Amino acid sequence: MISETTTVDTVMRALADRTRRAVYERIAQSDEITVVELTRGSGVTQGAISQHLKSLKQAGLVAERPEGRNVYYRARPQGLAPLVDWVSHYGIFWRERFADLRTLLKEIDP
Amino acid sequence: MTQTAQKSGTREAETHEIVVDEVFPHAPETIWEALTTGALIARWLMAPTGFEPIVGNRFTYKTTPAGAWDGLIRCQVLEVVPNERFAYAWTGGHEGNVGYGSRLDTVVTFTLSRVADGTRLRVVHSGFVLPKNETAFRSMSDGWKKVVRQLDTVAGEQD
Repeated sequence: MISETTTVDTVMRALADRTRRAVYERIAQSDEITVVELTRGSGVTQGAISQHLKSLKQAGLVAERPEGRNVYYRARPQGLAPLVDWVSHYGIFWRERFADLRTLLKEIDP
Repeated sequence: MTQTAQKSGTREAETHEIVVDEVFPHAPETIWEALTTGALIARWLMAPTGFEPIVGNRFTYKTTPAGAWDGLIRCQVLEVVPNERFAYAWTGGHEGNVGYGSRLDTVVTFTLSRVADGTRLRVVHSGFVLPKNETAFRSMSDGWKKVVRQLDTVAGEQD
């Protein structure tokens, strides 16, 4: 549960920053994209983009592929799964509780 | 808050609800006991503090604290129709949290209906706002909408 929570927090924090979200979206719209391409027209420095990429990578939202002198970034759609998991947390919660209720009812009303 | 919809739109944001629906081989009266008796609730859900199955009653569940949230789920009984319908508000969390422990203002509704082989019990937990209280998300920018669409895709893949 702790690690799950941490993951959700990491993903939500990563996407809560407007600039970082814009970076993520540009990556998601491309098959693969380099830091230089991401920086072009972004209005922020390459250093800032690199920092955002680091956060996105740590949150599991993007993956990188080094090739020669370039590093190509692509989106990991499964990186968004923790958010869905969080939403469905209560779905799992209630299904588990119903299983416990079934056991209890069997005991009190065999 | 229709019982079949998974999502219902509001002006502010979409709210989501969770529906679990199962048939139990017991009479509605037996299930009602399990849903509305403190000592029995403790055995399948969580131990309630101060619970009485009376409209207006306030009670709490103690869960794991997070950040500025003390971990208390504060509930208030909203509807009691013996052997048929039982609803209470389920609130908790704190504005300062994201993900687990974020602000939650929801309603839990149990509906019982007699069926041939027992009782159909449906729980609808409604009022989840996605995303929860992330200031940057409140703008509902196009960027966020895109993320939501992607979430839907991921959710669809998981089904």
